[in-house]
Amino acid sequence: MWLLKLRGLAGLLLLAGAINAYPQKEDKLISGPGSTLTENKCQICHELQHIRRAPLSRGEWADNLRNMKARGTPMTDAEMAVILDYLSTYYNREKPAPAPSADTLAAGGDDPIQKLLNANGCAGCHSASQRVVGPSFGEVAQKYAGDAGAPQKLAAKIRNGGQGTWGQVPMPPNPGLSEADLRRLVGWVLSQK
Amino acid sequence: MDESRRNFLAGVAAAGALTALRDVNAQTAPEGTLANEAIKQGKLASMQWHSERPLTGSLPAHEHDFDVTPSERMFVRNNLLTPAIDIHAHRLSVKGLVDKELSFSVFDLAKMFTTVALQGMLECAGSGRSAFRPAASGTPWLETGGMGCPKWGGVRLADVLRAAGVKRDAAHVAGQGGDPGMVPGAAPVIRSIPLRKAMDENTLVAWAMNGEPLPWVHGYPLRLVVPGWVGSASTKWLHTLTVLDAPFSGTYMNNSYIVPRSPVAPGEKMPPETVSAEAWPVKSMITSPAPNARFKGGGSITVRGRAWVGEGEVAKAEISTDEGQTWQPARLSRDGDKYAWRSFTYEFKPERPGYLTLLARAWDSRGNAQPAAPSWNPLGYFWNGWHRVGVVVEA
Repeated sequence: MWLLKLRGLAGLLLLAGAINAYPQKEDKLISGPGSTLTENKCQICHELQHIRRAPLSRGEWADNLRNMKARGTPMTDAEMAVILDYLSTYYNREKPAPAPSADTLAAGGDDPIQKLLNANGCAGCHSASQRVVGPSFGEVAQKYAGDAGAPQKLAAKIRNGGQGTWGQVPMPPNPGLSEADLRRLVGWVLSQK
Repeated sequence: MDESRRNFLAGVAAAGALTALRDVNAQTAPEGTLANEAIKQGKLASMQWHSERPLTGSLPAHEHDFDVTPSERMFVRNNLLTPAIDIHAHRLSVKGLVDKELSFSVFDLAKMFTTVALQGMLECAGSGRSAFRPAASGTPWLETGGMGCPKWGGVRLADVLRAAGVKRDAAHVAGQGGDPGMVPGAAPVIRSIPLRKAMDENTLVAWAMNGEPLPWVHGYPLRLVVPGWVGSASTKWLHTLTVLDAPFSGTYMNNSYIVPRSPVAPGEKMPPETVSAEAWPVKSMITSPAPNARFKGGGSITVRGRAWVGEGEVAKAEISTDEGQTWQPARLSRDGDKYAWRSFTYEFKPERPGYLTLLARAWDSRGNAQPAAPSWNPLGYFWNGWHRVGVVVEA
């Protein structure tokens, strides 16, 4: 029986090596004001199918968001209000969803980086040159200066979040970012020295 | 050597390989946790995975035609990630309203208290949720499947609490699990149960499932088993028991696992007056035949199923072959552990060829029958509507 157990574990070891913590496929909600922020916050802990499968009333979404915040979702009251408006517009059981539109909250003119920073809530904690909650983008770039492995390290930090590098306020993970957007952000941050 | 003790030792053997597992796994799953694919290795290939994060999966009714649910068929329901815990380092603390705070290793528990093995139902509160209309929020459990009835091994929670000495004003016992969330600020999974249920001789601190150490995803190395009650009461990866003078107040008590005190209209939001989800109402399912099974005309059909209730006894199981107009008693087995499901069989000869619907419903000893469809509630708990299986009788 012990042997049997150990053989089973060896199987686990082989398999575990091939797997990533986050799903690689990109999952999107209906595009609309606040959709990017909603995707990014909700996907920290669960898949978006939970939203698509069961549209709720505005009151239920409000309860739901309160519960998710209590469970630990890192989101400000302002972000919560945006997400509530988005969900009760596009995933409301009492009225049909409007046609998809641009995520106007991902504003920033024609600058794709500004759009990403705004839509993903980065700007809430980071600015170009001043420390807000987290380090400035300049500080991050300087920390990694001369490090050949910097792009991988920073990408992992943005994707998985972390704590302790710059203080004890945790950086939330960003599972909703596409690989292309992640690469774009990493390149931009590292160029901010 | 009795069975539980042997199970326990097997658990120690499994733990020996843990360090190596963690090293490989650390590159792929968040630190200290197991990747989903590693967990899926221990499950039937046909398991339906309802979500990856958190990991949830189950098998439909016709995959449950077993008196004791095999481990590879037991449903999976995580709230957070699956921790990889070292049994040698693991401790169970008992604190709160006790005469003496205690801390046990898993080995201490096995040495100090009478070991117990019993079969008991566990069913997720949301089991059957996808049958509710309108759709309720949460894991999309199929109409059947978010439940199972394996055999558990461990010690009585009551014995552990008595060793610590429960104070007079104790009312609830909270279990806390060691499952980590995706963010450092994730609320820990803490649920409490009333003292009377904690002291029930069938409520266990368990380390074994079906004669083996608990599989990782089912709470290795230690969990609560509160049979008959919603699965969330049976805290996995148990590390702390806190004796309280009132129900624990936290998000897994206040925002989840609650139902309206009085029924609300379908689609209404949760009213202010709620009650905690505890024992499952009476429920049954047809485990054979499978949906769309074909039978030769002129022969007889044997229907097999399982029936259970969270508290009390299953009194009756019935089958209808005419869409619920008339019901025939099935032969119900009454043997088994108090919180184990009961099997039933019903044999009949169909009167004519064609598509035939079988319906099952059970009654409990208090005179409650399964409804055609239970009253709707915002979080989609306690689905126990009649179970329906269609088959084909050939001409």
